[in-house]
Amino acid sequence: MCKDMPPLEKAIQFHGHICPGLLMGVRAAEFAQKYLDIDPDQDEELLAVVETNSCGVDAIQSILGCTFGKGNLIFKDYGKNVYTIASRGKKRAVRIAQKYKPQSHPDSLRYRELKRKDSLNEAESAEAENLLGAIFERLMSTPFEELFTWRDIDFSFPAKAEIYPTVQCSVCGEGVMEPRAIRNGQNYVCPDCV
Amino acid sequence: MCEANVYLHRDGQEELLMESVDRIIPGEDNQIFMENIFGERRVVKARIREMELVRHRVILEAVPEEPVQRHTEIWLEPETAHGHFHPGEAVIIKLNKGYNMQADSQAELKDPKAYIVKPEGTRELELHAHHNQGEINLTEEIDGLAQIYVHEKGEQERYAAVLVEVGHHHHHGTQPIGLPLEIISTDYSHARMGENYEIQVLKNGIPLAGAEVKATYSSTKNRDYPHHLTTDETGRAKLFLTARGNYLFSVTDENIISTFTLVKSF
Repeated sequence: MCKDMPPLEKAIQFHGHICPGLLMGVRAAEFAQKYLDIDPDQDEELLAVVETNSCGVDAIQSILGCTFGKGNLIFKDYGKNVYTIASRGKKRAVRIAQKYKPQSHPDSLRYRELKRKDSLNEAESAEAENLLGAIFERLMSTPFEELFTWRDIDFSFPAKAEIYPTVQCSVCGEGVMEPRAIRNGQNYVCPDCV
Repeated sequence: MCEANVYLHRDGQEELLMESVDRIIPGEDNQIFMENIFGERRVVKARIREMELVRHRVILEAVPEEPVQRHTEIWLEPETAHGHFHPGEAVIIKLNKGYNMQADSQAELKDPKAYIVKPEGTRELELHAHHNQGEINLTEEIDGLAQIYVHEKGEQERYAAVLVEVGHHHHHGTQPIGLPLEIISTDYSHARMGENYEIQVLKNGIPLAGAEVKATYSSTKNRDYPHHLTTDETGRAKLFLTARGNYLFSVTDENIISTFTLVKSF
Protein backbone atom coordinates (compact mmCIF):
# COMPACT_ATOMS: atom_id res chain seq x y z
CA MET A 1 0.00 0.00 0.00
CA CYS A 2 1.54 3.27 -1.09
CA LYS A 3 -0.42 5.64 1.11
CA ASP A 4 -1.61 5.62 4.66
CA MET A 5 -4.96 3.98 4.46
CA PRO A 6 -7.68 5.96 6.25
CA PRO A 7 -9.29 4.11 9.19
CA LEU A 8 -12.62 3.94 7.41
CA GLU A 9 -11.03 2.26 4.39
CA LYS A 10 -9.17 -0.21 6.63
CA ALA A 11 -12.48 -1.21 8.18
CA ILE A 12 -14.24 -1.56 4.82
CA GLN A 13 -11.43 -3.65 3.34
CA PHE A 14 -11.37 -5.90 6.39
CA HIS A 15 -15.15 -6.28 6.60
CA GLY A 16 -15.72 -6.55 2.84
CA HIS A 17 -18.52 -4.03 2.49
CA ILE A 18 -19.96 -0.84 3.93
CA CYS A 19 -22.91 -1.20 6.28
CA PRO A 20 -24.41 0.83 9.12
CA GLY A 21 -23.10 -1.53 11.81
CA LEU A 22 -19.55 -1.22 10.54
CA LEU A 23 -19.81 2.57 10.47
CA MET A 24 -20.93 2.62 14.11
CA GLY A 25 -17.87 0.53 14.93
CA VAL A 26 -15.69 3.00 13.03
CA ARG A 27 -17.09 5.87 15.10
CA ALA A 28 -16.42 3.95 18.35
CA ALA A 29 -12.89 2.93 17.33
CA GLU A 30 -11.93 6.43 16.19
CA PHE A 31 -13.35 7.90 19.39
CA ALA A 32 -11.40 5.43 21.56
CA GLN A 33 -8.20 6.22 19.70
CA LYS A 34 -8.62 9.93 20.30
CA TYR A 35 -10.00 9.67 23.84
CA LEU A 36 -7.22 7.41 25.07
CA ASP A 37 -4.61 9.05 22.82
CA ILE A 38 -3.44 5.71 21.49
CA ASP A 39 -1.95 4.36 18.28
CA PRO A 40 -3.24 1.18 16.67
CA ASP A 41 -2.00 -1.89 18.47
CA GLN A 42 1.20 -3.63 17.45
CA ASP A 43 1.75 -6.26 20.12
CA GLU A 44 -1.04 -6.33 22.68
CA GLU A 45 -0.51 -2.88 24.17
CA LEU A 46 -4.24 -2.50 23.67
CA LEU A 47 -7.05 -4.79 24.63
CA ALA A 48 -10.66 -4.70 23.48
CA VAL A 49 -13.60 -6.35 25.19
CA VAL A 50 -16.54 -6.51 22.80
CA GLU A 51 -20.03 -7.47 23.89
CA THR A 52 -21.31 -8.32 20.43
CA ASN A 53 -20.19 -10.29 17.41
CA SER A 54 -21.82 -7.93 14.91
CA CYS A 55 -20.27 -5.82 12.14
CA GLY A 56 -18.88 -3.07 14.37
CA VAL A 57 -16.34 -5.46 15.90
CA ASP A 58 -14.55 -5.64 12.56
CA ALA A 59 -13.92 -1.90 12.79
CA ILE A 60 -12.43 -2.40 16.27
CA GLN A 61 -10.14 -5.12 14.92
CA SER A 62 -9.03 -3.33 11.77
CA ILE A 63 -8.66 0.22 13.15
CA LEU A 64 -7.37 -0.47 16.66
CA GLY A 65 -5.50 -3.68 15.87
CA CYS A 66 -7.20 -5.62 18.65
CA THR A 67 -7.73 -8.87 16.83
CA PHE A 68 -9.04 -12.33 17.41
CA GLY A 69 -5.78 -13.85 16.22
CA LYS A 70 -3.56 -11.80 18.55
CA GLY A 71 -5.70 -12.65 21.54
CA ASN A 72 -6.32 -9.03 22.53
CA LEU A 73 -9.95 -9.13 21.44
CA ILE A 74 -12.13 -10.62 24.14
CA PHE A 75 -15.67 -11.53 23.10
CA LYS A 76 -18.51 -11.56 25.58
CA ASP A 77 -21.65 -12.83 23.94
CA TYR A 78 -24.06 -10.30 25.46
CA GLY A 79 -25.64 -9.07 22.23
CA LYS A 80 -24.83 -5.46 23.12
CA ASN A 81 -23.02 -2.92 21.01
CA VAL A 82 -20.60 -2.14 23.80
CA TYR A 83 -16.84 -1.89 23.38
CA THR A 84 -14.31 -1.52 26.18
CA ILE A 85 -10.93 -0.37 24.95
CA ALA A 86 -8.01 -0.53 27.36
CA SER A 87 -4.43 0.66 27.03
CA ARG A 88 -1.69 -0.99 29.09
CA GLY A 89 0.66 1.92 28.44
CA LYS A 90 -1.84 4.59 29.47
CA LYS A 91 -3.27 2.42 32.27
CA ARG A 92 -6.72 3.53 31.19
CA ALA A 93 -9.85 1.93 29.83
CA VAL A 94 -12.99 3.41 28.35
CA ARG A 95 -16.33 1.64 28.00
CA ILE A 96 -18.28 2.84 24.97
CA ALA A 97 -21.95 1.87 24.67
CA GLN A 98 -24.24 2.51 21.73
CA LYS A 99 -27.32 4.43 22.85
CA TYR A 100 -30.61 2.60 22.70
CA LYS A 101 -33.12 4.19 20.39
CA PRO A 102 -36.65 2.77 20.50
CA GLN A 103 -37.50 4.13 17.05
CA SER A 104 -35.31 3.53 14.04
CA HIS A 105 -34.99 6.16 11.34
CA PRO A 106 -37.34 5.41 8.38
CA ASP A 107 -34.27 5.17 6.10
CA SER A 108 -32.81 2.46 8.30
CA LEU A 109 -36.10 0.56 8.40
CA ARG A 110 -36.43 0.58 4.66
CA TYR A 111 -32.77 -0.33 4.17
CA ARG A 112 -33.13 -3.34 6.47
CA GLU A 113 -36.30 -4.34 4.66
CA LEU A 114 -34.46 -4.32 1.33
CA LYS A 115 -31.44 -6.17 2.71
CA ARG A 116 -33.72 -8.95 3.97
CA LYS A 117 -34.89 -9.67 0.42
CA ASP A 118 -33.27 -12.56 -1.41
CA SER A 119 -32.77 -10.48 -4.54
CA LEU A 120 -33.35 -6.89 -5.52
CA ASN A 121 -34.52 -5.55 -8.84
CA GLU A 122 -32.73 -2.63 -10.51
CA ALA A 123 -34.84 0.06 -8.85
CA GLU A 124 -34.53 -1.56 -5.41
CA SER A 125 -30.76 -1.91 -5.81
CA ALA A 126 -30.52 1.79 -6.57
CA GLU A 127 -32.81 2.59 -3.66
CA ALA A 128 -30.70 0.51 -1.26
CA GLU A 129 -27.57 2.25 -2.51
CA ASN A 130 -29.11 5.69 -1.97
CA LEU A 131 -30.45 4.76 1.47
CA LEU A 132 -27.03 3.48 2.53
CA GLY A 133 -25.49 6.73 1.30
CA ALA A 134 -27.95 8.76 3.39
CA ILE A 135 -27.39 6.53 6.45
CA PHE A 136 -23.63 6.74 5.92
CA GLU A 137 -23.68 10.53 5.92
CA ARG A 138 -25.98 10.65 8.93
CA LEU A 139 -23.92 8.21 11.03
CA MET A 140 -20.60 9.86 10.22
CA SER A 141 -21.94 13.40 10.75
CA THR A 142 -23.98 12.88 13.92
CA PRO A 143 -22.22 14.13 17.07
CA PHE A 144 -20.67 11.18 18.89
CA GLU A 145 -22.56 11.88 22.10
CA GLU A 146 -25.86 11.37 20.27
CA LEU A 147 -24.79 7.88 19.22
CA PHE A 148 -22.83 6.59 22.22
CA THR A 149 -22.25 7.02 25.94
CA TRP A 150 -18.82 6.42 27.43
CA ARG A 151 -17.07 6.31 30.79
CA ASP A 152 -13.66 5.52 32.19
CA ILE A 153 -13.59 2.24 34.06
CA ASP A 154 -11.18 0.38 36.32
CA PHE A 155 -9.77 -2.44 34.28
CA SER A 156 -7.74 -5.49 35.32
CA PHE A 157 -5.44 -6.32 32.47
CA PRO A 158 -5.05 -10.05 31.85
CA ALA A 159 -1.61 -11.44 31.05
CA LYS A 160 -0.61 -11.24 27.40
CA ALA A 161 -1.60 -14.22 25.30
CA GLU A 162 0.79 -17.14 25.73
CA ILE A 163 2.26 -19.32 23.04
CA TYR A 164 1.86 -22.99 23.95
CA PRO A 165 3.59 -26.08 22.55
CA THR A 166 1.76 -28.14 19.94
CA VAL A 167 1.29 -31.85 20.53
CA GLN A 168 -0.02 -34.53 18.18
CA CYS A 169 -3.50 -35.98 18.55
CA SER A 170 -3.20 -39.75 18.77
CA VAL A 171 -6.49 -40.24 16.87
CA CYS A 172 -6.40 -37.87 13.87
CA GLY A 173 -2.67 -37.14 13.85
CA GLU A 174 -3.17 -33.40 13.68
CA GLY A 175 -1.36 -30.92 15.85
CA VAL A 176 -3.21 -29.40 18.80
CA MET A 177 -2.32 -26.73 21.36
CA GLU A 178 -1.28 -28.60 24.49
CA PRO A 179 -3.70 -26.96 26.98
CA ARG A 180 -6.61 -27.80 24.66
CA ALA A 181 -5.62 -31.48 24.30
CA ILE A 182 -6.93 -34.21 26.58
CA ARG A 183 -4.22 -36.34 28.12
CA ASN A 184 -4.86 -40.07 27.74
CA GLY A 185 -1.98 -41.87 29.41
CA GLN A 186 1.07 -41.11 27.32
CA ASN A 187 -1.07 -39.80 24.45
CA TYR A 188 -3.00 -36.66 23.63
CA VAL A 189 -6.43 -36.43 22.04
CA CYS A 190 -7.72 -33.22 20.43
CA PRO A 191 -11.16 -31.85 21.42
CA ASP A 192 -12.54 -32.84 18.02
CA CYS A 193 -11.64 -36.51 18.53
CA VAL A 194 -12.70 -36.89 22.13
CA MET B 1 -62.55 3.04 10.83
CA CYS B 2 -60.07 1.44 13.21
CA GLU B 3 -56.96 -0.23 11.89
CA ALA B 4 -56.77 -1.39 8.28
CA ASN B 5 -54.86 -3.82 6.13
CA VAL B 6 -52.61 -2.19 3.55
CA TYR B 7 -52.25 -3.75 0.11
CA LEU B 8 -50.01 -2.95 -2.83
CA HIS B 9 -51.77 -3.04 -6.19
CA ARG B 10 -49.41 -4.21 -8.91
CA ASP B 11 -50.15 -5.71 -12.31
CA GLY B 12 -53.83 -6.22 -11.43
CA GLN B 13 -52.97 -8.13 -8.25
CA GLU B 14 -53.09 -7.09 -4.63
CA GLU B 15 -50.26 -8.01 -2.30
CA LEU B 16 -50.77 -7.65 1.46
CA LEU B 17 -48.09 -5.31 2.78
CA MET B 18 -49.08 -4.96 6.42
CA GLU B 19 -51.98 -5.93 8.65
CA SER B 20 -53.68 -3.88 11.35
CA VAL B 21 -52.13 -0.59 10.34
CA ASP B 22 -53.16 2.34 12.52
CA ARG B 23 -50.85 5.03 11.16
CA ILE B 24 -50.03 6.06 7.60
CA ILE B 25 -47.86 9.10 6.88
CA PRO B 26 -47.09 10.13 3.30
CA GLY B 27 -43.54 11.48 3.05
CA GLU B 28 -41.31 13.11 0.49
CA ASP B 29 -40.36 11.46 -2.77
CA ASN B 30 -43.48 9.26 -2.88
CA GLN B 31 -42.60 7.45 0.32
CA ILE B 32 -45.34 6.19 2.59
CA PHE B 33 -44.60 5.35 6.21
CA MET B 34 -46.93 2.94 7.97
CA GLU B 35 -47.11 1.51 11.46
CA ASN B 36 -49.39 -1.18 12.82
CA ILE B 37 -50.84 -1.82 16.26
CA PHE B 38 -48.01 -4.27 17.01
CA GLY B 39 -45.42 -1.53 16.57
CA GLU B 40 -44.12 -2.83 13.24
CA ARG B 41 -43.15 -0.18 10.72
CA ARG B 42 -42.57 -0.08 7.00
CA VAL B 43 -41.69 2.50 4.44
CA VAL B 44 -42.72 1.89 0.84
CA LYS B 45 -42.35 3.91 -2.30
CA ALA B 46 -45.94 4.18 -3.50
CA ARG B 47 -49.01 6.36 -3.51
CA ILE B 48 -52.51 5.77 -2.17
CA ARG B 49 -54.78 4.34 -4.85
CA GLU B 50 -57.94 3.74 -2.83
CA MET B 51 -59.17 3.69 0.77
CA GLU B 52 -62.07 1.33 1.52
CA LEU B 53 -62.98 2.59 4.96
CA VAL B 54 -65.87 0.23 5.63
CA ARG B 55 -63.78 -2.80 4.65
CA HIS B 56 -60.73 -1.54 6.53
CA ARG B 57 -58.55 -1.69 3.42
CA VAL B 58 -56.02 0.78 2.09
CA ILE B 59 -54.71 0.06 -1.37
CA LEU B 60 -51.41 1.52 -2.54
CA GLU B 61 -49.92 1.45 -6.00
CA ALA B 62 -46.31 1.62 -7.05
CA VAL B 63 -45.18 4.93 -8.49
CA PRO B 64 -43.88 4.59 -12.04
CA GLU B 65 -40.31 5.79 -12.39
CA GLU B 66 -39.85 9.08 -14.14
CA PRO B 67 -37.95 8.76 -17.41
CA VAL B 68 -34.34 9.88 -17.12
CA GLN B 69 -33.67 13.17 -18.89
CA ARG B 70 -30.33 12.25 -20.38
CA HIS B 71 -27.84 14.39 -22.12
CA THR B 72 -24.66 13.03 -23.54
CA GLU B 73 -21.44 14.10 -21.90
CA ILE B 74 -17.80 13.17 -22.04
CA TRP B 75 -15.58 12.31 -19.09
CA LEU B 76 -12.04 11.18 -18.38
CA GLU B 77 -10.95 8.28 -16.20
CA PRO B 78 -7.35 7.34 -15.43
CA GLU B 79 -6.69 3.63 -15.68
CA THR B 80 -5.57 3.17 -12.10
CA ALA B 81 -7.34 1.50 -9.24
CA HIS B 82 -5.89 3.62 -6.47
CA GLY B 83 -6.03 7.25 -7.46
CA HIS B 84 -2.58 7.86 -8.87
CA PHE B 85 0.17 6.31 -10.94
CA HIS B 86 3.59 5.21 -9.81
CA PRO B 87 6.67 6.46 -11.66
CA GLY B 88 7.47 4.07 -14.48
CA GLU B 89 3.89 2.81 -14.80
CA ALA B 90 1.94 3.22 -18.04
CA VAL B 91 -0.23 6.31 -17.61
CA ILE B 92 -3.40 5.77 -19.62
CA ILE B 93 -6.44 8.04 -19.49
CA LYS B 94 -9.70 6.84 -20.98
CA LEU B 95 -12.19 9.19 -22.58
CA ASN B 96 -15.82 8.08 -22.44
CA LYS B 97 -19.03 9.38 -23.91
CA GLY B 98 -22.35 8.62 -22.28
CA TYR B 99 -24.19 9.65 -19.18
CA ASN B 100 -23.91 9.09 -15.42
CA MET B 101 -20.53 7.36 -15.88
CA GLN B 102 -22.18 4.78 -18.09
CA ALA B 103 -20.84 4.68 -21.63
CA ASP B 104 -23.51 4.99 -24.30
CA SER B 105 -22.99 2.47 -27.08
CA GLN B 106 -25.00 4.70 -29.47
CA ALA B 107 -22.80 7.75 -28.87
CA GLU B 108 -19.97 8.77 -31.22
CA LEU B 109 -17.00 10.93 -30.33
CA LYS B 110 -16.72 13.80 -32.81
CA ASP B 111 -13.10 14.80 -33.30
CA PRO B 112 -12.29 15.45 -29.64
CA LYS B 113 -9.04 17.26 -28.82
CA ALA B 114 -7.02 16.56 -25.68
CA TYR B 115 -4.72 18.97 -23.90
CA ILE B 116 -2.25 18.90 -21.04
CA VAL B 117 -1.99 21.93 -18.78
CA LYS B 118 1.33 22.47 -17.06
CA PRO B 119 2.81 25.55 -15.37
CA GLU B 120 4.88 26.22 -18.51
CA GLY B 121 1.82 26.18 -20.79
CA THR B 122 -0.91 24.17 -22.49
CA ARG B 123 -0.14 21.67 -25.24
CA GLU B 124 -2.27 19.36 -27.37
CA LEU B 125 -1.95 15.65 -26.75
CA GLU B 126 -2.36 12.68 -29.03
CA LEU B 127 -5.81 11.18 -28.53
CA HIS B 128 -6.89 7.93 -30.14
CA ALA B 129 -10.67 7.99 -30.41
CA HIS B 130 -12.92 5.29 -31.75
CA HIS B 131 -16.70 5.12 -31.52
CA ASN B 132 -17.60 6.29 -27.98
CA GLN B 133 -14.20 5.78 -26.37
CA GLY B 134 -10.82 7.41 -26.56
CA GLU B 135 -7.41 6.85 -25.04
CA ILE B 136 -4.59 9.19 -24.09
CA ASN B 137 -1.19 7.77 -23.28
CA LEU B 138 0.68 10.08 -20.92
CA THR B 139 3.47 7.70 -19.94
CA GLU B 140 6.16 9.93 -21.45
CA GLU B 141 4.44 13.17 -20.48
CA ILE B 142 4.04 13.38 -16.75
CA ASP B 143 6.11 13.26 -13.65
CA GLY B 144 4.12 14.85 -10.90
CA LEU B 145 0.79 16.55 -11.38
CA ALA B 146 -0.92 17.54 -14.61
CA GLN B 147 -4.36 18.71 -15.56
CA ILE B 148 -5.79 17.07 -18.64
CA TYR B 149 -8.85 18.18 -20.51
CA VAL B 150 -10.71 17.20 -23.64
CA HIS B 151 -12.85 19.46 -25.78
CA GLU B 152 -15.44 18.24 -28.26
CA LYS B 153 -16.80 21.00 -30.45
CA GLY B 154 -20.28 21.12 -31.89
CA GLU B 155 -23.72 22.58 -31.28
CA GLN B 156 -23.29 21.08 -27.86
CA GLU B 157 -19.84 21.97 -26.59
CA ARG B 158 -18.45 19.28 -24.32
CA TYR B 159 -15.52 19.50 -21.92
CA ALA B 160 -14.03 16.89 -19.63
CA ALA B 161 -11.27 17.55 -17.11
CA VAL B 162 -9.22 15.47 -14.71
CA LEU B 163 -6.19 15.91 -12.51
CA VAL B 164 -3.60 13.17 -13.05
CA GLU B 165 -0.99 12.37 -10.45
CA VAL B 166 2.19 10.38 -11.00
CA GLY B 167 3.96 9.68 -7.72
CA HIS B 168 2.80 11.11 -4.42
CA HIS B 169 2.17 14.82 -4.46
CA HIS B 170 0.04 17.27 -2.62
CA HIS B 171 -2.47 18.90 -4.86
CA HIS B 172 -2.45 22.35 -3.32
CA GLY B 173 -1.84 25.22 -5.65
CA THR B 174 -3.37 23.83 -8.84
CA GLN B 175 -5.04 26.60 -10.80
CA PRO B 176 -8.24 26.52 -12.88
CA ILE B 177 -7.61 25.55 -16.49
CA GLY B 178 -9.63 28.48 -17.80
CA LEU B 179 -12.40 26.66 -19.68
CA PRO B 180 -15.60 28.55 -20.61
CA LEU B 181 -17.40 26.35 -18.07
CA GLU B 182 -15.32 24.51 -15.53
CA ILE B 183 -15.69 22.55 -12.32
CA ILE B 184 -12.71 22.77 -10.01
CA SER B 185 -11.91 21.33 -6.63
CA THR B 186 -11.53 24.06 -4.02
CA ASP B 187 -8.95 21.92 -2.22
CA TYR B 188 -6.91 19.60 -4.38
CA SER B 189 -5.71 17.54 -1.44
CA HIS B 190 -6.70 13.91 -1.48
CA ALA B 191 -10.42 13.33 -1.22
CA ARG B 192 -11.63 10.69 1.18
CA MET B 193 -14.77 8.71 1.54
CA GLY B 194 -16.68 9.69 4.68
CA GLU B 195 -15.77 13.36 4.29
CA ASN B 196 -17.18 16.37 2.49
CA TYR B 197 -15.69 17.35 -0.85
CA GLU B 198 -16.13 20.85 -2.19
CA ILE B 199 -16.20 21.91 -5.81
CA GLN B 200 -16.61 25.28 -7.46
CA VAL B 201 -18.16 26.08 -10.83
CA LEU B 202 -16.51 28.79 -12.91
CA LYS B 203 -17.98 30.34 -16.02
CA ASN B 204 -15.27 32.15 -17.96
CA GLY B 205 -13.27 32.15 -14.76
CA ILE B 206 -16.02 33.72 -12.65
CA PRO B 207 -17.86 31.74 -9.95
CA LEU B 208 -21.28 30.65 -11.18
CA ALA B 209 -23.97 30.87 -8.48
CA GLY B 210 -27.16 28.80 -8.56
CA ALA B 211 -25.80 26.23 -11.01
CA GLU B 212 -27.09 22.68 -10.76
CA VAL B 213 -24.17 20.27 -10.43
CA LYS B 214 -24.87 16.60 -10.78
CA ALA B 215 -22.61 14.05 -9.14
CA THR B 216 -22.25 10.32 -9.54
CA TYR B 217 -19.72 7.55 -8.94
CA SER B 218 -18.52 4.65 -10.99
CA SER B 219 -20.25 1.94 -8.98
CA THR B 220 -23.71 3.47 -8.95
CA LYS B 221 -26.74 1.35 -9.76
CA ASN B 222 -28.85 4.47 -10.33
CA ARG B 223 -30.03 5.08 -13.87
CA ASP B 224 -29.78 8.81 -13.29
CA TYR B 225 -27.29 10.87 -11.31
CA PRO B 226 -27.76 10.08 -7.60
CA HIS B 227 -26.73 13.55 -6.39
CA HIS B 228 -27.94 17.01 -7.38
CA LEU B 229 -26.18 19.99 -5.84
CA THR B 230 -26.74 23.71 -6.26
CA THR B 231 -23.85 26.13 -6.10
CA ASP B 232 -23.97 28.95 -3.54
CA GLU B 233 -23.24 32.61 -4.21
CA THR B 234 -19.51 31.79 -4.49
CA GLY B 235 -20.18 29.05 -7.04
CA ARG B 236 -19.38 26.34 -4.48
CA ALA B 237 -21.17 23.15 -3.50
CA LYS B 238 -20.30 20.28 -1.17
CA LEU B 239 -20.87 16.58 -1.43
CA PHE B 240 -20.40 14.00 1.31
CA LEU B 241 -18.51 11.13 -0.32
CA THR B 242 -20.07 7.77 0.45
CA ALA B 243 -18.82 5.58 -2.39
CA ARG B 244 -15.50 4.02 -3.20
CA GLY B 245 -13.81 4.78 -6.49
CA ASN B 246 -13.98 7.84 -8.68
CA TYR B 247 -16.70 10.48 -8.74
CA LEU B 248 -17.91 12.52 -11.69
CA PHE B 249 -19.30 16.05 -11.40
CA SER B 250 -21.23 17.49 -14.33
CA VAL B 251 -22.61 20.95 -15.00
CA THR B 252 -24.55 22.35 -17.94
CA ASP B 253 -24.87 26.00 -18.91
CA GLU B 254 -26.38 27.19 -22.19
CA ASN B 255 -24.80 24.94 -24.84
CA ILE B 256 -21.85 23.72 -22.74
CA ILE B 257 -21.60 20.52 -20.71
CA SER B 258 -18.51 20.31 -18.57
CA THR B 259 -17.40 17.42 -16.38
CA PHE B 260 -14.74 16.98 -13.75
CA THR B 261 -13.55 13.57 -12.61
CA LEU B 262 -12.51 13.30 -8.99
CA VAL B 263 -9.96 10.52 -8.80
CA LYS B 264 -9.94 8.96 -5.35
CA SER B 265 -7.31 6.75 -3.78
CA PHE B 266 -9.94 4.55 -2.18
